[in-house]
Amino acid sequence: MPLFSEAGLPASYVPLSFSDWQQRPEWPAVSLANTDPVEDLAPHVGRLRLIVLNFPKFSDGRAYSQARLLRGRMGYRGELRATGGVLIDQIPFMLRCGFDSFESEQKGFEEALAKARTLFSVVYQPTEDGRIPASRLRLDHTVAPTP
Amino acid sequence: MPDTYFYRYDDFDRTLVAERVEQFRDQVRRRLAGELTEEQFKPLRLTNGLYLQLHAYMLRIAIPYGTLASRQLRKLAEISRKYDRGYGHFTTRQNLQLNWIRLEDAPDALAALAEVDMHAMQTSGNCIRNVTADHYAGAAVDEIEDPRIWCEIVRQWSTLHPEFSFLPRKFKIAITGSPNDRAAVRVHDIGLRLWKNEAGEVGFEVIVGGGLGRTPMIGKTLREFLPRDELLAYLEATLRVYNRYGRRDNLYKARIKILVHEIGAEKMREEVEAEYLSIRDSALRLPAETIEAIAHQFAPPVLPERPMISGRVEAERLSNADFALWLKSNVAPHRVKGYAIVTASLKPAGSPPGDASAAQMEGVADIADAFSQSELRVSHEQNLIFPHVAIDDLPQVYKSLAALGFAEANIGKITDIIACPGLDYCALANARSIPVAQRISTHFAGLARQHDIGDLKIKISGCINACGHHHVGHIGILGVDKNGVELYQLSLGGDVDFGKTAIGTILGPAVTADKVVEAVDSLVATYLDNRQDNERFVDTYRRLGAKPFKERVYAAV
Amino acid sequence: MAKNLSGDLQVASANRLADGIVVWLDDAGQWTDRLEHAAIARDPRSAEILLERARAESFTVVEPYLVAVAEDEQGALEPLSLREKIRASGLTFEAIAAEAVRYA
Repeated sequence: MPLFSEAGLPASYVPLSFSDWQQRPEWPAVSLANTDPVEDLAPHVGRLRLIVLNFPKFSDGRAYSQARLLRGRMGYRGELRATGGVLIDQIPFMLRCGFDSFESEQKGFEEALAKARTLFSVVYQPTEDGRIPASRLRLDHTVAPTP
Repeated sequence: MPDTYFYRYDDFDRTLVAERVEQFRDQVRRRLAGELTEEQFKPLRLTNGLYLQLHAYMLRIAIPYGTLASRQLRKLAEISRKYDRGYGHFTTRQNLQLNWIRLEDAPDALAALAEVDMHAMQTSGNCIRNVTADHYAGAAVDEIEDPRIWCEIVRQWSTLHPEFSFLPRKFKIAITGSPNDRAAVRVHDIGLRLWKNEAGEVGFEVIVGGGLGRTPMIGKTLREFLPRDELLAYLEATLRVYNRYGRRDNLYKARIKILVHEIGAEKMREEVEAEYLSIRDSALRLPAETIEAIAHQFAPPVLPERPMISGRVEAERLSNADFALWLKSNVAPHRVKGYAIVTASLKPAGSPPGDASAAQMEGVADIADAFSQSELRVSHEQNLIFPHVAIDDLPQVYKSLAALGFAEANIGKITDIIACPGLDYCALANARSIPVAQRISTHFAGLARQHDIGDLKIKISGCINACGHHHVGHIGILGVDKNGVELYQLSLGGDVDFGKTAIGTILGPAVTADKVVEAVDSLVATYLDNRQDNERFVDTYRRLGAKPFKERVYAAV
Repeated sequence: MAKNLSGDLQVASANRLADGIVVWLDDAGQWTDRLEHAAIARDPRSAEILLERARAESFTVVEPYLVAVAEDEQGALEPLSLREKIRASGLTFEAIAAEAVRYA
C-alpha cells in the first residue's frame, strides 16, 4: 500500500507483529492490532522508531485511542503510522491523535494530506497535536464582560 | 441587553461551523462525482445529520439543549420552505427533522443554518450526539444550577472530537440540574445530575449505561459526586474505555450499556476511574474562568417581580373552560414571582405528534418575541415551550396559540403522545407510528375527559430502536411486523420520573392496527373503574398489577 | 384480483443519489420515478439479471435492490410489502402544508 507522510517518506523499518515483537522487544518497529494492549509498550517507547496501528475498517475507531495513549500518556516520539481503512476524510482526526504517516489506497490522498491541517482552523479539544483549543485561546483574549 | 439568554457563538464557533459546511460541500461534490462510494460517504453524511429515508434525504438539525431563539426558529421555518416541504418534525432528542431534503441542496441548507449559529453536526453516526437537557432549564423552580452551561461545555468538547468520532455505536448524553428529572438521565449512555452535597458544593452524579432500544436498561451510578471542573476528564475517560472495549462484533450489542452489563458496574467503575486519574490534572480540567464565562452567557433575563394573581387571567378562566384546563395542564410555575412556563402543544387532536408547519413556527417565534424574551425550548416530549411568560399575559398567549392550533390543553395527558416518524418515513421502521397516534388522539380528543383521565403518557415506536421511548411510556406501544402485517405490542408501567425510572412490562399478544384504540380504551376504562383518590393511571397499574388490564383488553380485542 | 402474491414478480428500485427520491429501473435501463414504467422480472433468472443491470446503472442512485410486486389484470403494479407500498405511494396520512396553521 502506498505510504504518505507530511514530512516526506520516513526511514523504513520492518515492523514485527506484537507477539513477535514481545519475543524481541529491542526491535525498533512494531505493528499492533487494535485489540493489543498498547500500555505494554510503555517501558520501550524511547527505543521504538515506528509503531503501526491498524484500522480493520475505517469505521472501527479503536486505534485513535491507542494513538492518543502512545503520544499523550507514554510520550512516544517516533513515527506513528495508520494502516488499513485509512481514508481522506479521516486524516484530520488522525493528525489530531498523533498519527504522522499513513498507508492508503485512496486516490488523491497526498493532496488531501497536504491540506488536512488547514481544513479546520479551530479545535475544541486538547490532544496530542499541540494545537491550542478554542477554550484556551478565549482565556488569552478575555475582555471583561460589559455589565 | 443581550438578544439571548443562552450561549452566543463567538468567532471560534462560527469559523468551525463554516469550515465544517465547506468540508461537507466538498464531500457531497466528491460523492456526486463518483469519487466516494456510498459506503464511504454514508458515515460522512450521517455525522452531518443527513439520513436517507424511504422517500428522500432527511436532515436532522441539532437544537443544543433544546434552546432556541425566535430568530433561529424563523430561520428553521425559512429553510423548511426553501429546501423542504414547509414543515418539520420536533424529535424526542430535541432536534428538528426536515424530511424532504435534496442531497444537492444539503450544503446550502447547512450554510443557511450557520447564519443563525446552528448546525446538524453529530445528530447521527457513531459519535457523541446532540446533548439534551431539562426543557425547563433556566426557569424551573426546583433547579440547582442551569444544566445548559454544562451541555454547552460538553457540546464544544464533543464536536469533531478526533478520538470519539468512530465509536462502536452512537452515544447520547443528557444533563439535568433539578431533583425532578425532566431529561430522562437514567436512560442515556451517560446521564448527569447536578446536585448539592452536604458541604454545599455542586457536582455531578454520573450515571452510565442506561438506554432504551432493543435492550432497555437503567443506567448505573458510576460516581456519586464529581467536582464540576473535572467533568470533561471523567467524560473523556468513560468514552475512552468505551471506545477501546465496547463490542464491535454485533451492532445490537455495541452500546455502552452492554459493556457495563457484561463487565459489571464495579469493573466499569474501576476502568473509568483509573483512566480518569491519569487525565484529571491535564488540560481537560476546566478553569474557573472558562466555566464563569459560559455561565455568564446563560444568566437569566432580569424579570421584575409581578403579582401572582391577574384580573385578566381570572376573568378568562371563569368565562373559558378550555382556558381553565390549559392553565392546569400547560402552565408550570416559574422561579420568578408573577411568571410562568408555558408549553405549546404540538399535539392537536388528530395531528402527527411534534410536527409544525413553517407558518406555525413563525407564529410561535412571534409569540416568543412578544411574551417570552424571544426564547423557546423544545421538549423531549416533542412540544415547544415559552420559558418566561408574565402571568398577566397568559390569556393573550393562549389566544395566539389557539390561532396556530397549538393551544390544546393536553400536556401530560393521554393525547400528548410521543411518536417516532415510523414506517411512513423511516428506513428502519417496521410499522407506522403516526397514524396510530392520530387515531388515539382523535378518539380521546375531548378535553374534559382527558383531564378526568389525568396524567397518562403514551409513547409509540415503530421499531425496536425505540425512538418513541415506548419502554418508558405509562402505556408503551411498539409496532412490529409479522409476516407483512403491522401489529402493536402494548406495555404498561414504564416511567422516567426521577427515582421511579422503570421499563414497562409487555401486556400480552400484540394487537392489529385497527384494535389499538380499543385496547387503549380498555386500559383507560380499567383504570377509571379501579382508581383510588388521586391515583394516576400508572399508580393504579402498579397497585393492581397487569391482570385486570390484561383481562379487559383481551376480552375487548 | 392480484396474482403472483408469492412474490415471483420483481422490479428493481433505489433512491436517486442527488435528491433521494424513489426510482425504479425501466426496460431501457433508465431510472424512472413512475412504478408503472418499471421493468418486470417474471422469474428468478430474470430477477438476477435485472438486479445486475440495476447495479451496473447505479452511478446515479443509492444501493439498488429487488422489490416483490403484484400485477393486476390491467397490468398495474403494486409492491407486496407495506414498506414498499409506502415508498411507491407516499405518506399514509396527510402532512401539514407550509402555510397551514391548524390541523384537524
